[in-house]
This record gives sequence, structure tokens and C-alpha cells, in this order.
Amino acid sequence: MRCFCCWRDHSRRQRRPAISSNPEPLDSLPVEPQSRQERLFLLLSIFIGVISGLLVVSFRMAIEWLNVLLLGSSIQPHQLNLIFVPALAGIAIAILTRFVFPQVTGSGINQTKTAMYIHNGYISFRTVIGKFLLSALAIGSGYSLGPEDPSLQIGAGVASLVSRRFGLSKARLRLFAPIGAAAGLAAAFNAPISAILFVIEEVIGHWSADVLGSIVLSAISSVVVARWFWGAEPMFRVPAVTLRDPRELAAYAVMGVLGGGAAFVFARSLEYLRPRAQRMRSTLRMMQPATAGLLVGCIGYFGLPQVMGAGYGTIDQAMHAQFAWKMLLLLALFKLIATTLSFSSGTPGGMFAPTLFVGAMLGAGIGSLGKIFLPHLTGSVASYAVVGMGVLFAAFLRAPLTSVFMAMEISGNYSIVVPVILANTIAYLISRALQPTPIFEFLTHQDGLWLPSMEEQREESDLHIEDALQPNSFPVLAGSGTVEEALNLVRQDFSHVIVRCAKGLWYVAEKDEIDVLRTAAAKDEDFRVARLEEKIGPARTPMLFPDLTLSSALPYFHRWPLLPVMNRAKRGALEGTLSLENVLRRYQQE
Amino acid sequence: MTATTQRFLVRDSLAVVSLTAITAVLFAVTLFLFRSFEAHRASLAKYWAHQGLAALQTNQPANAVTAYRTALSYAPGERNDELMLAEALGEAGRIDESFNYFTGLWESRPGDGLINLEMARLATKQLNTQDAVNFYLAAIDGTWEGDAIERRRATRLELARYLIQQRELVQARTELLIAGGNAPNIPDLDITLGGLLEQANDPSDALTYYQRAVHDRPRDADALAAAGRVAYALGKYPQARNWLDRAVREHPDNGKNSALLAQSERILQLVPAENLPVRERVNRILAARAIAKLRMSGCAAAPKDLTARWAGADATANASALLTDPDRQKAALQLIYDTEIAASQHCGAPTGDDALLLLLARSFAQTEETSHQ
Repeated sequence: MRCFCCWRDHSRRQRRPAISSNPEPLDSLPVEPQSRQERLFLLLSIFIGVISGLLVVSFRMAIEWLNVLLLGSSIQPHQLNLIFVPALAGIAIAILTRFVFPQVTGSGINQTKTAMYIHNGYISFRTVIGKFLLSALAIGSGYSLGPEDPSLQIGAGVASLVSRRFGLSKARLRLFAPIGAAAGLAAAFNAPISAILFVIEEVIGHWSADVLGSIVLSAISSVVVARWFWGAEPMFRVPAVTLRDPRELAAYAVMGVLGGGAAFVFARSLEYLRPRAQRMRSTLRMMQPATAGLLVGCIGYFGLPQVMGAGYGTIDQAMHAQFAWKMLLLLALFKLIATTLSFSSGTPGGMFAPTLFVGAMLGAGIGSLGKIFLPHLTGSVASYAVVGMGVLFAAFLRAPLTSVFMAMEISGNYSIVVPVILANTIAYLISRALQPTPIFEFLTHQDGLWLPSMEEQREESDLHIEDALQPNSFPVLAGSGTVEEALNLVRQDFSHVIVRCAKGLWYVAEKDEIDVLRTAAAKDEDFRVARLEEKIGPARTPMLFPDLTLSSALPYFHRWPLLPVMNRAKRGALEGTLSLENVLRRYQQE
Repeated sequence: MTATTQRFLVRDSLAVVSLTAITAVLFAVTLFLFRSFEAHRASLAKYWAHQGLAALQTNQPANAVTAYRTALSYAPGERNDELMLAEALGEAGRIDESFNYFTGLWESRPGDGLINLEMARLATKQLNTQDAVNFYLAAIDGTWEGDAIERRRATRLELARYLIQQRELVQARTELLIAGGNAPNIPDLDITLGGLLEQANDPSDALTYYQRAVHDRPRDADALAAAGRVAYALGKYPQARNWLDRAVREHPDNGKNSALLAQSERILQLVPAENLPVRERVNRILAARAIAKLRMSGCAAAPKDLTARWAGADATANASALLTDPDRQKAALQLIYDTEIAASQHCGAPTGDDALLLLLARSFAQTEETSHQ
């Protein structure tokens, strides 16, 4: 019998990356009822949501406590601690990452994805603790990183830890990682829909009905817990947007263009610096967090302390139009630099908050500038800032669907949807054109991993049956007619004949079968007058339609040399035929 | 139920109970930490708001801006701190930032009276008259916390002052009359209204408010002096003398009031009012004619037709002729007044009794004009 009191022992015993696809359960349990796992799956999703929510609340508190403790309650330029605190924290982070928590570097999203696809959902308890402590220390001491991605990994770690206690199958264990990830992200963002969509877009990488219900349950549970503590207010307060003049959409479109460009610059900066930093000798790599901390601290010391930390306070100030447009654009630029330095140094922390920060500054800057030159613009600076956040999210993180819902959820404002969709789409398309590989995918490739992604799926174009469909050139016989009538129709030497059977089904007979029929009919009078349908085999061809994927037809060629394709609107009507040769030829044309 | 199923049931139940217990403990710990965290944030917000106020009071708006920004980072959305921050930005000379900040607040609360008032003040600094007036009006119609009636009236008076400054006297007068119409009888407010109405070129209504103030506070020297001054300007000399006399009695050291009182008394000695006994009236006309004649003799640039009139019967009629003929009295008076007005136009500003006669002449002309209309 197992219980949660024996937590530690179990975790040790099971802590082995299950790279092989061994179908055996994790321990030697007797055969269990299938319904048990399904019931537990849903119940555990709620527990995972609640525990993740509590941990994320604690995580945020830890960041703020550390921030006040290390940098003081009012961060201003020209305070010396802005320089030496991040540098000292960087040394501590480097030592702990090297010797105690080796798995905690990076944002947490790719690590969660790796756990799901490579390690059967396994994330160690040590990694969860390390991620919590080191990310809190990094963000609290001023590194330009965010708490959302670590929250996502903490949630996934909690899910992994909880699910392992129940001895579920490997397939189930794998699914728990995204469930916990959604819970962690939902609590960090106070935005359940965005969290669910992001996990589907970025962590799972494809739409999966198996896990959707559990993801929703865990995300909702964690948000309920987070709201119990932080309140139900959206992250930012934005007045309703009224588009009185459709021409104002042009301003949002411009923002989409600029956002796409900014995302490109951001991605290229990371793509340039991170591999170079990782190629350095291990002793030099140990110095990287401290160096990054020092440089970020210098940015703060010499006038822009707003770029330090997650920066939500500064986003709020920008939304309340507290900065002039020049300052906003300057903040966007230096946040981009500070984030590139912080992230490339391998310091644990997320990319969400910096992305939102850069987007908000850019949006607010464009909004402020627009109001100077086009005073008739009705959108507030805050609405431009929210759209800007969505734009960078869509273009940099390449999660277009999430970006739209995120903009609405964090502002609690659904009137903003039209500008958000327009600007995000433009930015996303520009980013895809300029930078074919999304940033998270690039980072996994850099780490030597090739994981599935939604973006990859978007690039793929699935072939359909209609792409390989050929007009029918074989005789079609009525199954309701006699064998003699049928044989009289097949005078020529066809390789196949197609038989129309009852209920709109079909049968395909090869030449050998026809020859057998012909021989039998020659010998037996009764056989000749019997119905053709009764004398052919009982099997029928599968029901295939032109819009189905071409791969869906492949399993049937083992039994049928030729597959009739039917019309969806008119049952029994033949659209054409499909042969293995046609299918292969079509695939080879790709 | 099979033995295997039973084993799973017991095992899972125990695991779920353990998980529930762990969740409960985690919740309790988080709650404890969160309460402590919130209390600390609240105290930091309070501390920095206090620092901001202190900085504003010591005329250090830049420090106040920093302090209020910090306070708001610990208590986001705290209305009072937001407004103070916007004010501090304005006082620090960061007008655009302040305006932007107030615009942001205004967009989230467009009906807030205080925000509209601050927006109006910023618009006045930006020399944007139309926006300023619109924001003032929105502030008057907006929502206020606390004594809304009082705040709306104060805002309307501020608008009136601004309009007077912009020389929009008609609109200013309208606003003042609305403010006065809804105002309770408070002497200080009446004095303020009277003063502003005087500036808005409406001495008549100003006198009404001064009178009300004097009625409620009969020994208020300021109200008495103001009422006397306006009454004197309106040609209501007996009332002017009465109020000025009382004002001087309250504050004998005020030389200005004393001088005006002396002028009032003298003018009352000069004025040939129709309700006087005929002899007294004629004596005053004769005295005034002598003064005017002297003024005329010293004014070589006077129009010729006026010089000709001084050679005629109106200038020479004696007391007995005037006593029996009211028309001659009027004609003599007209000559006196015309002389004083013409002399003031052609021969410089009058002094002494001539100045007082000029006042009477103008008052008479205005009365005549009004009666003709």
C-alpha cells in the first residue's frame, strides 16, 4: 500500500528517465480496472490545479519579498545596490545551478515539453524546488525575466510528482505534464483560457481531445485559488475601447508591422547571443549570470531601473500614460537588451513578462505618438499598450490564438478584440516571413532536441484523398444482378471490377476472383442465376471520402488493391478510385 | 467486488486523503504568508504615500512623484495616491506627463469631478481655453466624494475666475449668477460672489450679494466697505454713505474708506435731488452752477456751443427765477452737467467738487438714457 507520507522514497525509486517505450507499469501492480485511471485522472487534475495555484501564489510572494529585501522598497537610479545585488545573486545562481539544481536553467517551457515527449512526463522534485528558489532569486534581484514560464514548469513538476504517487500508466503520466503546466500558467497570469490555449499551442504542440478536459479542470482550479488570494481583478485595468472611426484600425495595423519587426530583432538577438554564450568554457559559463546581472544592473543604475525584474508595475504605469513616447521606446529597447543578456546567461526565468513589457512599451509609445499627430484617435494609451502586448506575444512567441485571448483576459476587456486580431495577425505573418523558426523551437534545436510544435504542423500541408483520386476506369457491376449478367458485362480483360453492393457499400474483385466465378458459373446452372452479391466475399471496402487525409487510406491497401471513393452527399455514388500506386506517386510529388 | 478492485480502492482512498491533507497544510501556510505579505505591502504603500505628502508640503514635487509612484506599486489603483501623483507631476513642471496621467485616469473615470477639475487646471496651464472650460463644466456636472454641492460651487467659482481672466465676462456673469442662485446665505461666499460679479462688470448684482452679507454680518467691515464702494459707483450715495460710515466706524484706520465716505458726504451735499425742498434744491443748483462756471472759465478748449450757452438765460437765471420755474431748474442743471462732461473730455480730469459733479452728471445721463429706452 502506498501513501503520500512515503513521498520521498517513491520519488527516488521512480526517478529514471523512461526513454524506452516500455509498456510495463511503473511498479508491479496487479491488473487494474481501466475506469480507475480515468476517474483518478480527473480528480488529480483538480488537486494539481489547487496545489499549483498555491505554489504560484507563494512564488509571486517570494519574488516580491526578495525584491524589497535585496533592492529596497523604492528602486531609483544611482543606487549602488542595483549593480552589486544582481551580480552577487548571479554568482549564487551559477553555483547552485552548477552543483545543486542542474535542470533549472532556461524558461521552463521547453523543459516541460521535453519532460512530456522524452521523459514520459517526469520532472524531479529537486527541479521544482530549484526552479522556485532560483527563479525567485533571479527575478527578485532584478534580472529581466518573468515568473510565468517558471510557474508553468512548477505546475508541471507538481503534476508529475502527484501523478507518480498513484502508479498510473506511462501514457497517463505523460499527459499530466501539460495539465500541471496549464495550472501553473493560469495561476501566474490569472488567465485560464490563455493558459489552456498556450499549453495546447506550445507545450503539447497539437490539439488533443484526450487531455483537454483535465487541462481545463486544473487551470480553473488554480485560477480559483490564485483569485482567492489576489482578487478577481484582471492584471491590467484598461478602459473600454470604442472604435468610432474604422480608420483608426490603421494605427493598430502600423503597430502590427512594428511589432513584427521588433519580435524579429528580439529573436535574432537571442539567436545570436545564446549559442555563443553556451559554447564558452564551463568556468566562463559560471560567470555568465553574474556578468548579465552586472550589465542589467548598470542599465538600472544609469537611469532605467524599470527594465529590472518582471516589470508589471512599469507596464501599469505605461498604461496610465505616465511616460512620454520617447521614454517608452527607450524602455522597450533596453528591456530587449536586458532580457537577451539575462536569458542568454542561462539564468532561470521566463520570457513572457519581458515580451509583454516590450510589447506594452511599444504599443503605448505608438499610441502616445499617434495622439500627438492624430489627436482624433479615440483609443486610450492603455488600449494601445494591451494591443502591443498581444502583438509581441503573437510575433515573438508565435502563439497567435493565445495572444488574442491573453490580451482580452489580462485587460478584462473584450471590446479590444478587433484591433488585437488585426494587429496580431499582421505581426504574426511578418514574424513568420522574417523568422521561419519560432524562438522556442530554435532553443530546443540548440539544445539538441527536436520536439513537435504547432508551428511545425502549420507548415505541413496534409494531402487528402482527392489529391490522388483517379476517375474510375474499371467495370462497375450491380451486386443485385445475377452472376451470369455480371460475367456477360465483363468481356474485356480487366484487372479489377467494382461491385455495387446493398446499403451503398462496395466490393472490389480482382481478375482471379472473376476467373473463379466464371469457372463456377460454367459448371453450375444454379450458380449462374444466383445474385452476384451472394457469391462474392462478405467483406466490403471501407467508406472513403475525398476530403479524408490520404494517409487514412493506407491501412486498407493490405486487403484491397483498389479503393472506391464515395460522395458524402449521395451515398453509393462513386467519385473515383484510389490505388496504392496513385497514393505513393502523389506523396513522391511533394 | 474482486480482491484487486478492493485493494485499489483502499490504496487510492488513502492516497487521496493524504493528498487532501497536504493540500490543506500548504493552503494554511500560504494563507499565513500571504497575510503577512499583504500587511507589509500595505504598510509600505502607506509609508510612501506619507513621504509623498511630506515632499509636496515641503515643495519637493520631484521627490513626491517618486514617492507616490512607489506607493502605487504597493497599492495599485489607490485613487488618492493616483490623484496626488498626477498633481505632483504637474507641480514638478512635468505638465505633459501630468496631463497624460490625468487623461489616463479620466478615460477610466470620465465622470469624476475631481479628475475633470484637475484636467481643467492643466488645460489652463496649457493655454487651451476651450478644453479648460469643457473640463470645468464636466467637473461641475461630475461625481464628487464628500460634500459634492460645496465642491461643485467652488469649481463653478473657479471657472468664473478663469472666464474673467479670459475677458469672457458675459459667460462669467452667468456662472456666477448660477452659483449665487444655489448658494446658501454665507457672508464670506456672498462677499466672494459680489467681488467676482464686480469683476464681471455687474455691480448691480454684486451690490445684492454685498447687501446680503451686510445683513447677515452687520459689523463686517469688508462687507460694509464693499457694499459702500459699489453703491457709490452705482450713484446710490445715501446707502454708500451709510455703509461707508459703518465701515469706518469698524475700522477707523482705513484711509480709503474714510476718503470715500468724505466724498459720499460731499456729493450728498451737492446733489440737487428732486425730493428736496424747492429752495434747498435751487440753492444747490446755484452752488453747482458756480463751480461749473469756474471750471468752464478755466477750459479754453470747450466747445463753442457750450460757451454760447453760458452766455444765455440758463447761466444767468437767478434764484427767484429758478424757484418758480422747474423747467429752468432742469435747464440749469443740464448746463452744469454738460459743462462738467465736456470739460473732462477737453480739459483734463476734474478734481474736488468738479469730479463729484462729473459723477452726478454721468449718473444723470445714465438715468436719462435708461428712461428713454
